[in-house]
Amino acid sequence: MSLDTDGQAETISAPDDGRSSFTRLRQQVAFRNYTLLLVVVVTWLVFQVLTNGIFLTQRNLTLLALQTTITALAAISAVMLIVTRNFDLSVGSAVALVGVVVAWLTVRLDVDPLIAVPIAILVGIALGAWNGWWVTRVGVPSFIVTLAGLLVFRGVSLIITNSATISPVPKSMTGFATGFLPSALSIALVFVLFGGYALFLVADARRAKAFGLIRDVGPQVMRMLIPAGIGAVIAVYVSSTNGLPLLVLLLGACVLAAEVLMRRTRYGAQLYAIGGNPEAARLSGVNIGRAIFWNFVIAGLAYGIIGVALTARVSGAVAGSAGLFLELDAITAAIIGGTSLAGGRGTIVGALLGAALMGSLNNGMSLLNVGTPYQDTARGLVLLAAVAIDVVGRRRS
Amino acid sequence: MVTAESGVTEAPSVTREGVGDGAILLATRGLTKRFPGVLAVDDLSLDVRAGEIMALLGPNGAGKSTLIQVLAGLHDPGSYLGDMVIDGLAYRPTSVADAERAGVVLIPQEINVVPEMTVAQNMFLNNEPTRLGMIDRPRMHAAARDGLRDFGVGIPVEARMGALDLATQQLVVIARAFAKRARLLILDEPTAALTEGETQRLFVHLRDLRSRGVAVIFVSHRLTEVFAIADRILVMRDGRVHGDHEVPATTREQVVHEMVGTIAGVHKEPGVPGPVVIEVSGLNVHDADEPDRLRVADASLTLRAGEVVGLFGLVGAGCGALAQALFGSWPGRVEGSVRIDGQEIRGSDPSTSVRLGIGMMSQDRRETLMLDASVADNIVLASLEALSPRGVLDVPRKQSVAAAQAAALRIKARSTSQRVGSLSGGNQQKVQVARWLTAGSRVLLLDDPTRGVDVGARAEIHALLRQMAADGCAQLLVSSDAEELLEMCDRIVVMRGGVMVQEVPAADATEAILLSAAAGL
Repeated sequence: MSLDTDGQAETISAPDDGRSSFTRLRQQVAFRNYTLLLVVVVTWLVFQVLTNGIFLTQRNLTLLALQTTITALAAISAVMLIVTRNFDLSVGSAVALVGVVVAWLTVRLDVDPLIAVPIAILVGIALGAWNGWWVTRVGVPSFIVTLAGLLVFRGVSLIITNSATISPVPKSMTGFATGFLPSALSIALVFVLFGGYALFLVADARRAKAFGLIRDVGPQVMRMLIPAGIGAVIAVYVSSTNGLPLLVLLLGACVLAAEVLMRRTRYGAQLYAIGGNPEAARLSGVNIGRAIFWNFVIAGLAYGIIGVALTARVSGAVAGSAGLFLELDAITAAIIGGTSLAGGRGTIVGALLGAALMGSLNNGMSLLNVGTPYQDTARGLVLLAAVAIDVVGRRRS
Repeated sequence: MVTAESGVTEAPSVTREGVGDGAILLATRGLTKRFPGVLAVDDLSLDVRAGEIMALLGPNGAGKSTLIQVLAGLHDPGSYLGDMVIDGLAYRPTSVADAERAGVVLIPQEINVVPEMTVAQNMFLNNEPTRLGMIDRPRMHAAARDGLRDFGVGIPVEARMGALDLATQQLVVIARAFAKRARLLILDEPTAALTEGETQRLFVHLRDLRSRGVAVIFVSHRLTEVFAIADRILVMRDGRVHGDHEVPATTREQVVHEMVGTIAGVHKEPGVPGPVVIEVSGLNVHDADEPDRLRVADASLTLRAGEVVGLFGLVGAGCGALAQALFGSWPGRVEGSVRIDGQEIRGSDPSTSVRLGIGMMSQDRRETLMLDASVADNIVLASLEALSPRGVLDVPRKQSVAAAQAAALRIKARSTSQRVGSLSGGNQQKVQVARWLTAGSRVLLLDDPTRGVDVGARAEIHALLRQMAADGCAQLLVSSDAEELLEMCDRIVVMRGGVMVQEVPAADATEAILLSAAAGL
């Protein structure tokens, strides 16, 4: 490389500049999730004071976690679709239909849950593939396809059950949905996961250092480890008496899988690229139709998991009300979590925090005996405020 | 036409720096690509050598774009005739990816990046290094950093792509192309959006690529740049090669001559100019995304009733931006004084402009026409207020006004309820004319109004515009077609790099004069 060309580098940005803007930009990416985490923590402290210390008890935090799980699972699936500029309005109805299938098999046909549950999850995947087929093969906008799904899946659920409740599902199922991992095991699991995450971060940072990308391993690791540490402390506190609810562990596994898929695989990068600039994605050789079809299939897997979990939790399938308005809660959580309806932007962790914030508001207001109408009003205003702050912030920068 | 000079092109060049082995990298023989009604590339044979920068010049419609699209795999291999060879092997790309595998990478004029993703993610989009099935981020970042460093670009690889300026984005795109081991890099008007400094920076990198044996095809209208960077100039016209020169052995005059040919222009009959309608002074138009960048600087212009003023410039000269700024539809900041009938206009927007009797015809019909709506609805769009006494639309009157206008302009449609999107391009443009005629516009801003319109419809649109001018309508005609300006205008203003550089009465102007001024000769 000639001296002349090296001189050019100086005009763009001096190496030192590069270093400082490097950290600044990294901070910007993480900034939103940190803000949201802070808002959740402040909300908790406010409720703690208002409820005279009831809110942050182990019992209530466990309840909050269970209440949030279903919305959070749906929000994860919603983020993945919205990132590619697709909507899913059908998740609530699809969940009801999956619930009807699993309840019908276990209650009416007396099928073993070990067989019935996989079948129900396959039905969920089939529903996702149905949505994906219409969107990618026929070219009907996802808003319409899933609006139709919202009506059709709910309708079919009611037809099959003749609007009757099917219950109770076998003990082994309800046992999973209401069960806990024993306290000692829970705490051990939290430590193992935290340790594993720390090791992963260190290994990643070491490689980055070996490539000369960062000077020190420490700061990079600590920045990610501190929020994880807060989460671990809360998890240990919650699990110290009864242990962790199995449903919450299921959510944790799903978050981990989705996070890896979205941020650490080529498929995830393709989804972000499709949402950010479809033409750029196409010119880079991304098969957009196929990627979006699988996007809906993954949403179908979520229908299956949520449908089974919900049915097990309430010990039966109520076709008329199971998963009602779940699609709206999921989209709300995703958007509060920083997902852009224009596509290309949104994180799994953000959606999880969005679901946590909404769940906390519901739970806290219930503790304060604030009625559902007020809760709905509050959630609507929070949604509006979250997006408004985001829009104004973006305009400033 | 070039036979006398073509002997010179055979002379070995000794002045070029960093030329590779000069072996032929890509050759086409008898390449022919036909679109309905147009022979875009006509039996074209050319050789591109490794380690040379070849400029591709030619007027609009010469077939340059089609040629590079065929080379880059954007056209179906069955849709053209002829043969292509790379390194002695038959080459017929089935897709962009296929072309890239063969080492042919096109960097289109419109840079396609994902703004929300990082520089590294953009560079390795769909090509990420993986480890255990997961993206190996440290390796990807290191590779991106090395790729950029190779180019002397010192930006952090985790910067958001959208946070970079256009030139840097373009360098990232070129670095990406090079990371794909490009052996033939095709750049389509790469400097259109760049400043002088940014252009020079790009050239340093192109020379560096040349010294590494990469062949570069550089499509541009800007002769100064072409003569600064190219080893060889290929002039295309009507789908054929009209000149092939080693750079030191030719002159700008000769190249301009080959591009333009000799056409006897038909000039507009000078009308009697009326009172001043629009008076612009000190107009600055800022880029929407980069507010510090001026797209038009300190422009001043007067437009009289019945006068047609042409605005000529190359891509990025700011002609279109100026027209949009006057109409109030420019997305960026605009400052300066605009007077209409002597009255200062503050912070104009399209609705104010329409109320003041200013209309705008855009080259991109998708922007200004409701393609799914009827002919009638499109015609009355700018006159809804007049057609809605007490706020209620008078539908029968709307239909009769639209029908009368469509008949007067001879718009070829089954009826005025036909969908505009199903009309031909020429008739769609006539619908635009009809809209402003109906609105009684006194000023028309025309941005390349006959681009992509067939010859017959073009003549009809020209006749309509002439008639409107004769009736006192002032017109500002932006066109990339010098011939059109010579036919239509009273005087022509030439812009270059956002600045008005020359004004010529149409009667004294020739294509060569305009092109020379626009290219900065």
